[in-house]
Amino acid sequence: MTARPNDTNAIVDLSVRLGRLSLRNPILVASGTFGYAREMVPFVPLADLGGIVPKTVTARPRAGNPTPRIVETSAGMLNAIGLDNDGLDHFLEHHLPWLRTVGTSIFVNIAGEDIDQFVAMATQVGRAEGVAAVELNISCPNVSHGLDLGVDPASIRTLVKRVREVCPHPIVAKLTPNVTDIVVPARAAFDAGADAVSLVNTFKGMAVNWRKRRPILANDIGGLSGPAIKPLALRMVWEVHRALPELPIIGIGGISNVDDVLEFLVAGASAVQVGTATFADPSVSGRLVDELADALKAEGVADVKSVIGTLRSNRG
Amino acid sequence: MNEHCTPLQADAEILENHEYRPWLFRMRLAAPAIASKIRPGQFVMIRSAWGNDPLLGRPLAVYDVDWDAAGQAVSLEVIYQIFGRGTKRLSQMTPGESVRIWGPLGHSFDEIPDARRIWFVAGGIGYTPFLALAKWWMGSSPYGGKTVRMDSTASINMIYGARSSDMIPPLADFRDSGIDLQLCTDDGSAGFSGRVTDLMTENWSSLPEEARPDLVVTCGPEPMLAAVSAWAGERQVRCLVSLENQMACGFGACFSCVAPIRQADGSTDLKRVCLEGPIFDAADVAWGHR
Repeated sequence: MTARPNDTNAIVDLSVRLGRLSLRNPILVASGTFGYAREMVPFVPLADLGGIVPKTVTARPRAGNPTPRIVETSAGMLNAIGLDNDGLDHFLEHHLPWLRTVGTSIFVNIAGEDIDQFVAMATQVGRAEGVAAVELNISCPNVSHGLDLGVDPASIRTLVKRVREVCPHPIVAKLTPNVTDIVVPARAAFDAGADAVSLVNTFKGMAVNWRKRRPILANDIGGLSGPAIKPLALRMVWEVHRALPELPIIGIGGISNVDDVLEFLVAGASAVQVGTATFADPSVSGRLVDELADALKAEGVADVKSVIGTLRSNRG
Repeated sequence: MNEHCTPLQADAEILENHEYRPWLFRMRLAAPAIASKIRPGQFVMIRSAWGNDPLLGRPLAVYDVDWDAAGQAVSLEVIYQIFGRGTKRLSQMTPGESVRIWGPLGHSFDEIPDARRIWFVAGGIGYTPFLALAKWWMGSSPYGGKTVRMDSTASINMIYGARSSDMIPPLADFRDSGIDLQLCTDDGSAGFSGRVTDLMTENWSSLPEEARPDLVVTCGPEPMLAAVSAWAGERQVRCLVSLENQMACGFGACFSCVAPIRQADGSTDLKRVCLEGPIFDAADVAWGHR
C-alpha cells in the first residue's frame, strides 16, 4: 500500500507481523485488564482491536488472593489478584467459543505451576481452533511459581522449546521485569523459538499503612502497573530490541495515549498492549486504533511498520 | 437485584459541587444518558478527566437524578466522603470542569420489593443509595424511565447510625421525601444512644408481630452490615446488603472487588461486587471469610 504525505485520503497500513503472527494493527489489550472481553463490549468495539489477551488461565480453578487485592499508588496501582480464574477446561468451553466470534486475534494466556503443567496446558490449547497465539505467563508476581520460572533463563529455554513441540500456535513469552538484565530472559525465549516476547509484566512493589504497621495488600506485595512504570518498561523494550533486533516485541507498561504507543513502537516494539489504562478510561483501547492511524497520517507515514525500531541513540 | 443495563462512558460537566461538611460533598453532573438509565442500587465510577494521578475512578452510588419539565433526565447526583486522594481531588473541582464517568454499573434493586414493612438501615456514607430507592418504591420518581409503586399499604422506615452527632450528614432530603427516619449515635449525642442493631431490637420489641419488618435493606461499614445481617438472620427476616469494596474498574475486568458469596452447593465463591452485586442477599454473604 502506498500513500503520499499530505494525502488526506490515504489509508495508513496498520498491520504488523510478529514471527508467525500477523495482526490487523498493533493495539492489543493486556491480560488481566480486560476480563474475558465480554465485560468490555459496552466500551470497546472489539473487532477493531489488533488482538485480545484474556485473563490468565491456570490448569485448575484458582480462588485468587484475599482482599484488599489492589491499592492505588502514585500514577499507578498495585495488584495482587492471584490469578483468580475458573481453570482451562472452563475457559475452553465457556470463553473461547465466544471469543472466536468477536472478530479479532485471540491470544490465550496460560500459567502453569511448573514446566510440565505449562506443556500439558499448551497441548490442550494447541488443539483448540481460533487461537492466534499462546502467551506464556511466566511472570506473575502474585503466585510464587510464575516468577521463579521467569527469572531462570535455562527454565525459559526448556519451557518455550517444549511448548513449541506440542503447540502449533505462535508462542509469546510474557517476561517479568524483576530481573537485573531483561536481555537475559528475552534471549532465552528467542533462542528457544518464541515468536515474540511481551515486555513487561508488573514490577514487584508494596504499599504500607505505617500507622497500622501493615502492608495494605492482603498479599503484602503486589505488581505495580500504570503510567508510573512506563519509563521502566520503555527502557527494557529498547534494551532488548538493541540486543536482539530480530526478536519481535510486544510493549506493555503504562500505555494510555497515542504518544505512549508510538514511543514503544519506535523503541522497538512491533505491537503494544494497553493494560491498566482500561481501568481508568474503559474505552481507550478502541480509540487508540483510530488515533494511531491519525497520528501516522499527520506525520506522512503510510505504514506503521516503517516506524518500528527507528529510535536512534543520542550517544551515537 | 434485577436490572443490569449496558454502561456508557462520558465526560460530564460538573454542574454543582456542594460542600456539606469539610469531608462530605454532593456533586451534580451533566450526564443525561447515564442519568436516564441508572436505577437505585446501581453506581457509577468517577475520576477527574485529565492526568494520571489519581489514576483510578471512585465507585459512587447514585443519590438522585434530576428530570426536566418534559420528563427527560438531565443530571445525576452523587454524594461522596473524602477518604483519600481520589475523593480529595473531586472535592477540589469546580462547576464547568469535567469528570470522566462510566455507568450505570452493577445490578439495581428489584422494581417492586416483595415486602410490606421495609426497614432501611444505614451507617456512615452508606445512606446515599436509599433516597432514590425510597422515592422509586414509593412511586415518586421514575428511575431508569420506569415508574414503579409498591403496595399502598406498604411502609418504609429508615434508621441511620453514626459514631456521634457531628458525623451525621444532612438528611433533610429523606424527611422531605416522607421517609420515617430515626437516628442513633454510638455516644448518644443525637437520637437513640447505641448501635443500629440496638435501636432495631428496641423497635422490634415495641411492635406487634404483624407490624414487624419483612425486609431489611442495609448499607454501610462492613462490621455494621455483618451485625445487621446476623440480627435479621436471628429473626428470620429477609435482608439485602449493598456491599462496597476496593475497585479498580467497576465493570468486572480487574477482579479486585470480590466478596465471599455462598453458592447453592454450600461452597463459598469469590464474586465480583461490581458485576454480580453490589446487592446481595445477606444470607449468602460469608462474613469474615477470607
